[in-house]
Amino acid sequence: MSDDNNENEALLLVDDNPTNLQVLYQTLETTGCKLLVAKNGETALAIAQKASPDLILLDIMMPGIDGFEVCRRLKDNPDTANIPVIFLSALTETKDKVQGLQLGAVDYVSKPFQPDEVIARVNTHLTIHRLKREVEQKKDALEDELEAASDVQRRLLPKKLPEIAGLKLAVHYETSLYAGGDYYDIAKMADNRWGFLVADAEGHSAPAAVMMAMTCALFRSYPKPPTEPGELLYFLNQHLCKVADPSFVTALYIVYDANHHRLKIARAGHPPPMIYRSAEKKAIEYKCGGVFPLGIDSYEQVPVTEAELQPGDRLLSYTDGITERFSIDGETYGEERLLQQLEGDENLEPQELLTAIMKDVDDFANGRPADDDQALFLAIVE
Amino acid sequence: MEISQKEKNGIVFLSFKGRLDGKSALEAEQAVKNILENENTRLLFDLELLEYLSSAGLRVILGAAKEMKCRDGKFVLCSLNAYVKEVFEVSGFGTIIPIAESVEAGIKEIA
Repeated sequence: MSDDNNENEALLLVDDNPTNLQVLYQTLETTGCKLLVAKNGETALAIAQKASPDLILLDIMMPGIDGFEVCRRLKDNPDTANIPVIFLSALTETKDKVQGLQLGAVDYVSKPFQPDEVIARVNTHLTIHRLKREVEQKKDALEDELEAASDVQRRLLPKKLPEIAGLKLAVHYETSLYAGGDYYDIAKMADNRWGFLVADAEGHSAPAAVMMAMTCALFRSYPKPPTEPGELLYFLNQHLCKVADPSFVTALYIVYDANHHRLKIARAGHPPPMIYRSAEKKAIEYKCGGVFPLGIDSYEQVPVTEAELQPGDRLLSYTDGITERFSIDGETYGEERLLQQLEGDENLEPQELLTAIMKDVDDFANGRPADDDQALFLAIVE
Repeated sequence: MEISQKEKNGIVFLSFKGRLDGKSALEAEQAVKNILENENTRLLFDLELLEYLSSAGLRVILGAAKEMKCRDGKFVLCSLNAYVKEVFEVSGFGTIIPIAESVEAGIKEIA
């Protein structure tokens, strides 16, 4: 009956009757576990706290605090709450068993017990407890790794936004537990031209994080100033196609000529930008052609759409983690709400407007956590 | 998300019902993988009852399309509702994955 896995495990046996305790001790000696004993509830609680046994076999009828109360106190104490408890009792009424299980015990064995049955149940619960602990440890380790990946991602983002004459910028960037790999970046070019890239790597957490980092490395190693958005996306795609299977990256790249307020836009599977026209007090989704996302197949040509902004106009790039944020009822936030928010008070600074938008998004979600990254990139013409 | 499967005249039909998003994508991916383990070369996705499709869902569909292309097979999506159709248009996926108006039209396309 001895189980090699049990060597490092400890059982706490609790019974006020010395004869019962001895029988139980002899029965469980064969399991190979270290055995601890307590003759009353108080001692049992003290040992449980100090020695953190892997399993407790607990008699119910004892002078002083009885087994039910011991179990209740064990479960109330965070240090001992996770130790599985098996009741061992001469009380054989169903209501006693139910009460014991309701208090959080994992099993209930009636006395007089069959030694083989007690050993079998102890082994089963030790195995369950051990597996549960292992799963929890693995989960913790995985969460640590995700957090580390998320840290790396953040370090890849621009440290701060550039000062651009005639244009005010703001960003919001928020990763979720199931990080998909949102990314934004800014390139400075001659003649007061600027490149704004917003991208979203799709895939499970780790592959998405790698894709996001690859996109960043490729963007920053582009061999010439990225003044032509179609050419840039073509370049990123060529390289991402070699690694991204079956993940992909959506991207929106805009070259902004700050001297003339002119935009050149290229889009790969990404939502088109939104533009707020101050003269009309209206925000629209700016229609622009595009290609499928980066990393799937080669492009023949990437279409480029042009636009012009006026003072007071706003330009918003975002990732679908915003528009696909769910409410409690399973409804999505959607483009319409985002457009409405973009029409907000013209006196707001870009960062204030983004804060207002995120408040609206969070209010809409009403406590339902985001299951995708959320990024917003806002530019306002002065 | 409910996925049902049938096979007729050498075509594997997969019907999706509900929402194909980040949460159901894993399950859908596994279902598609199981089907692709057989040497099927003609695959039809019926999306009539698909209410919602996120980018995670697009990845599942893309995975199937790529695999069919690899084995020189044929793949088609059928009966997309207006919302799902728009997702395909905006994301550009409509240009790399064949889409048919109805299951009948889809069968013709890959027959």
